[in-house]
Amino acid sequence: MEKPKLRHRVLIVEDEDNIALALDYVLTREGYAHERVANGADAMPRIRDSAPDLVLLDVMLPEVSGYEICQTVRMDPALKDVKILMMTARGSAMERRKGLALGADGFIAKPFELKELREEVRRLLDGDGAGGNA
Amino acid sequence: MATGPGAMLNRLGLRLRVFLFFAALALGSLSAIAAGLWLGYGQAADGDLLSGFVTAGLIGGFITLGIAAWVWFLFDEHVARATERLAASLRAEAHAGLDGRTDTDLARYLGDLAPAARAISGRLSETRDALAEAVQRETTRLAEEKARLETLLSDVPVGVLLCSGDHQLVFYNGPATELLGAAQVPGLDRPIFDYLRDAPLRHAHERLWSAGDAEAVSDLLVATVAGARMLSGRMRLLDGDGAGYVLTLRDVTDDLAAHAGRDRLLEEIFDKIRRPAANLLTVIGVLDEAPDDPALTGALVGEVGQLAKTVTELGQRYDQARAGWWPLPMTRGADLLDGLRARMEAQGLQVTTEGDDLILRCDGFEIVALLAGLAERVAGKGLTRDFNVRLAEDGAGAVIDIGWRGAAVPVGTLDGWLDAPFDVGAADVTGKTVLAIHATECWPQMRDGMAILRLPIREARRAARRPQAVARRVVYDFDLLFKARAEGLAETALEDLTYVVFDTETTGLLPSDGDEIVQIAGIRIVNGRKVQGEVFDTLVNPGRPIPPRSTDVHGISDAMVADAPPIEEAGRQFHKFAEGAVLIAHNAPFDMAFLRRHEAGIGKAFDNPILDTVLLSAVVYGQGESHSLDSLTARLCITIPEEVRHTALGDTEATADAFLKLLPMLKGRGVRTFGDVLTEVRRHGRLLKDLNA
Repeated sequence: MEKPKLRHRVLIVEDEDNIALALDYVLTREGYAHERVANGADAMPRIRDSAPDLVLLDVMLPEVSGYEICQTVRMDPALKDVKILMMTARGSAMERRKGLALGADGFIAKPFELKELREEVRRLLDGDGAGGNA
Repeated sequence: MATGPGAMLNRLGLRLRVFLFFAALALGSLSAIAAGLWLGYGQAADGDLLSGFVTAGLIGGFITLGIAAWVWFLFDEHVARATERLAASLRAEAHAGLDGRTDTDLARYLGDLAPAARAISGRLSETRDALAEAVQRETTRLAEEKARLETLLSDVPVGVLLCSGDHQLVFYNGPATELLGAAQVPGLDRPIFDYLRDAPLRHAHERLWSAGDAEAVSDLLVATVAGARMLSGRMRLLDGDGAGYVLTLRDVTDDLAAHAGRDRLLEEIFDKIRRPAANLLTVIGVLDEAPDDPALTGALVGEVGQLAKTVTELGQRYDQARAGWWPLPMTRGADLLDGLRARMEAQGLQVTTEGDDLILRCDGFEIVALLAGLAERVAGKGLTRDFNVRLAEDGAGAVIDIGWRGAAVPVGTLDGWLDAPFDVGAADVTGKTVLAIHATECWPQMRDGMAILRLPIREARRAARRPQAVARRVVYDFDLLFKARAEGLAETALEDLTYVVFDTETTGLLPSDGDEIVQIAGIRIVNGRKVQGEVFDTLVNPGRPIPPRSTDVHGISDAMVADAPPIEEAGRQFHKFAEGAVLIAHNAPFDMAFLRRHEAGIGKAFDNPILDTVLLSAVVYGQGESHSLDSLTARLCITIPEEVRHTALGDTEATADAFLKLLPMLKGRGVRTFGDVLTEVRRHGRLLKDLNA
């Protein structure tokens, strides 16, 4: 498997430890630099500090929702290059529309296949693939 | 001044004229005998005595016969036929109310009889006019009240039916027509069981009847006969001994389907989750003792995977289905925007609205309350007091945007607003409740430099594509509540029968040569009255070209029938319309020949009793008159507007009106029952075949 030419930095915003563990595994295998925060309140300071290339953002978070974080990122011009891939266990068409309307670059429903996640991450970071979920 | 022998005769008295007739007959006979004897005597003088007598007898006999025939002709023309015509004319005046129609010229040789008859009819006419004028005033007042009540009843949004004690339809409104099924147009005096399954109605009726409480009501659930709809109903008995009842109906098919769908999904959730959950617990229990067993780990992974997949699939189905679980009406977008604008302005906000002309599936009141509440909170946050509300089509649905120039609302703030109760007239209703009922979300975003709050509506359509409006007319005849029913058709009084008067237009006159029907029209007559609103009128695709000469007559062209149903379908619909009724047509053998040759394709036999207005006219006016539809309607003072003459419905109307005027005239002749009329018309079999074989 070809590794990314640049070490893209990914921030995982996920309160479920098991999902975070799985994401950690996949991103490590793919060669991305990554870190994790476990609640919405800590997410924005970390995003502002590190300006990651991609945020894997859960929708249902304690304290501050994923939608709110997404909107805040998109309203900050300094973070305009940050890509956001939202994750939700519900994934109804209306939630997907809401996420994309708030500025998410992709939307993926849990449970997801690892292959699906890899392709979506690559599409957003490297411009690979046929397109997103919009 | 008339001159000549005819005019001179007219001046003589009737008795003197009759005397002169018979004197002339006697003198003529004597002269004939004398002439015969004179000629016979001439031959006898030549020695041929036998030949003389024969000649005398033949000449005398033939001349007498000729004189008798001449006198018979004069009596038949001027006495018998004139009496018949005068009598028919008087009957028409007396029974059908045809004022001023007694023609004295018909009976000019009957002396003073015709002027006397005219005088009587004149007095009758004056009395009738005076009475009619008085009745008219009162009728106008009652008609206005009746029209108001009909409007009120027709605007009731639920189906309302009134049935007699023997379950015959006496009243129905427009929504009831819709509920009972578009394929089966309801008809007065038809059994309600033609449309609704009988058991729930009979049970409810028996419950109320046995309870003996005038105030009691019985709720019921009943399916349409075709099973396509489930209706929730309430039955209440009418006052009086007839045990008639009022039935109000509401379509709950979608409600029940939603309930059933929810139950099925719930059942499926437990069914599909219980098994893998139990398996998981079992595997986990064994794993405690053998944590490194790869087979057990595999089993665990398999069960977890299966459980996750099932939950995801059920969750998606829940999301798709929940929008249909709450009954939402179709709401006009313009009304919703207007209501929202009024409410926002009442809150002191400036608002402009714009949008497509859409019909939305939503609870307009809740949506207006939600959006107005959100706007109020936006204003309260100091973001703006000047809003623009836009409604736009969005795929199969629509979006409502509340926009303003200024900063966007943070999602977290919006979520907080949506979690708080809203003033929608019910306790504990939050914005999120309203969103859940409509299976939608609400979010902030930017559009054309404006901050907006967007609310998608899942189902909408263009207002121009609205379905055909529900017929709002009420149809009723309360006399049917007290109608006595005879045992057999022959014994049934003519005015108690239900009739369907009909007419067809065709490609030509010869069904045996392939001519076909291009139009059928029918009108129901119940209790001696045309039922307004129960009209059958359809074009029929004849499956062959319509000759131009036929189009010239009825105005129906090939293009007009291109999309019309074939006779098999139109005939089936007409059969249903005419079910249980006596068919009436003018020259019925013609129309029936066209229908009966398609009975196999239609799948129904037209075995209704049949009356023919040609034969009824012959019964009333005698065979000597013309019985064409034009002649009959002219005699009965019925005007057929030229534009509808030779259209099926126009001729049907004229035939129905003629029949209704012939009914009292038949009754005046002692023809009261269907059996009586059959006996009478069969006397005129030479004129036209009676089809009630």
